[in-house]
Amino acid sequence: MLGFRLAAQKPPDPQRITDDVVMRFEHVYEVDPALMTEHVRQQEMPAWDTHRIVSGRWDHLAWMHDHFADSVISGEELLREIEADG
Amino acid sequence: MATIALADAVLEELVAICGEEHVFTGKSALYNRARVPAPFPVHRWDDHIPQAVVLPTSAEQISEVVKLANRHRIPVVPRAGGTGLTDGAVPLRHGILVDVKLMNRILEIDLEDRTVTVQPGINMLKLSEELRPYGFIYPDNPASYPCSLVGGRIGTSGWSLIGARYGHTRDLVISFEIVLPTGEIIRVGDGGGKKVRKSSSGYQLKHLFMGHQGTLGIVTEATLELVKRPEAEFSAFFAYPAYVDAWKATGDLARSGFATLAGVVLFDEKKVEYLRRDDEAYIPQPDSVKSVVAVAMYGQAAEVRPAAKEIMRIGKDSGGTYLGDEISQADWAARHDRYATPLHGRTRSGQVVPMGWHCEDAAIPYSALPQVRERWHAIADGLRERFDMFDDWGMFVYTNGAFKPWGDFLTEIDIGIWEMRWDEESWAAWVDAKREIGRVAVEAGGSLSACHGSCREGEVDLVPLELGGGFEVMKKIKCALDPNNVMNPGKYLLDRAYEEVD
Repeated sequence: MLGFRLAAQKPPDPQRITDDVVMRFEHVYEVDPALMTEHVRQQEMPAWDTHRIVSGRWDHLAWMHDHFADSVISGEELLREIEADG
Repeated sequence: MATIALADAVLEELVAICGEEHVFTGKSALYNRARVPAPFPVHRWDDHIPQAVVLPTSAEQISEVVKLANRHRIPVVPRAGGTGLTDGAVPLRHGILVDVKLMNRILEIDLEDRTVTVQPGINMLKLSEELRPYGFIYPDNPASYPCSLVGGRIGTSGWSLIGARYGHTRDLVISFEIVLPTGEIIRVGDGGGKKVRKSSSGYQLKHLFMGHQGTLGIVTEATLELVKRPEAEFSAFFAYPAYVDAWKATGDLARSGFATLAGVVLFDEKKVEYLRRDDEAYIPQPDSVKSVVAVAMYGQAAEVRPAAKEIMRIGKDSGGTYLGDEISQADWAARHDRYATPLHGRTRSGQVVPMGWHCEDAAIPYSALPQVRERWHAIADGLRERFDMFDDWGMFVYTNGAFKPWGDFLTEIDIGIWEMRWDEESWAAWVDAKREIGRVAVEAGGSLSACHGSCREGEVDLVPLELGGGFEVMKKIKCALDPNNVMNPGKYLLDRAYEEVD
């Protein structure tokens, strides 16, 4: 069985977001690889692995909310009510 | 300093007390229990290695281990999760390390009197999971919520992220059993009743043994509050164009008077700058976002919802811009588990390096926060200028009072440290910096620590200054309860008590 193959699902080329940060997928940011050349090298990751980590984080945060309370109140909804109240 | 092995006869006694499978002298068992996540002098690791590790399963076993230590004059260091940030669990004189992790059972859930009695090795997250079917939670909520243990929370007198609503460890622990430094097993609380929340009978001994950092015994059982699981959670993050605006808003929110208010957190400008490096919530924020204030509430929906609406009004009226539900909810959820965050910092040239996280904390009056912030950052800047291994990660302040969240704030400066670079010179400079950070806190009318404790190198030198005559009483208590100085010797400068007696 073949193991890890970056070429199997190569991430898109990065877009620059700030002086220090690039982005390959919407809202998924990376430290500029130019800042990772001397002491720590950036890992190459296939797209599926990045997506797995991002969705794993959302799962973790949802689980944490559920751990502490039955429901989460929306601030955006409250702001709309305040604006409607005048 | 080389570690001297315990005599075979002592090891045989430990095996007879705890069982062979619960006594360890191998390198991995010893080295892994020499440090905690606080900055550690890795170039002097050997100085902190225990001579043996035991994992007892009962208070009686712990009592026997402590009596043995007294007979042979061997130091004893208790350890729970080992997540503390003031080195309470770090041995200073080697000795026997008592790890309580196997004592992790729930002993009783009392739905009538609303208590849960546990052993010290249980973790708060696991405990709350066990309580969920009954509709309860144990809301002691440090940044190490998924990995710290009840025994360590008592040993450090921990601070909770949602303490403004539910109280901190000292408020949530009703009573506990402790093995004294001479081996006797006693129970302390408010008065004698195991489940009594308020008593006027006798000295209030619970507080004496809260935050002792292992110098006054080993906790073996605790009776805790059962708190109704909240129906609703609300969190809101507001952005401000300047620190001073955010600081004023923090004061307004903390004084808002809502009983469901669980905490207010202020991020200073340096913190926001740091987060812009690689935090997905802050990277896309416009330049006008310089400082952030977060608010959280918990309770019954009928209470939280109307109060949350007022909080949104206060945030808006104070000039704050709501950062949206996604950031507010996700960032708040992430705050329950800061130990899982992988960390790196930057050299002065901007290169990424692996760094350990150090969080220096103090309790500071609200009015003094701006000047403390300036002085602490100046100290951190001085370190970074001299050694390209320190990185200022900015400051948070959090509401500190239990149930009354105004007045003083847990104040933290996060400093990244490239630990592989430690040598004697940089370590000495770091210890000096910690001492200066502590001095600023005391001069501002604050306390050296709201959260971690104050017994590490550097800051500990200021404990007598902070406590004054109180430190003299601490020494007398230590001498009276631990005549042979076996319990975590060297901590909190308490060796001085024995030098004076000699």
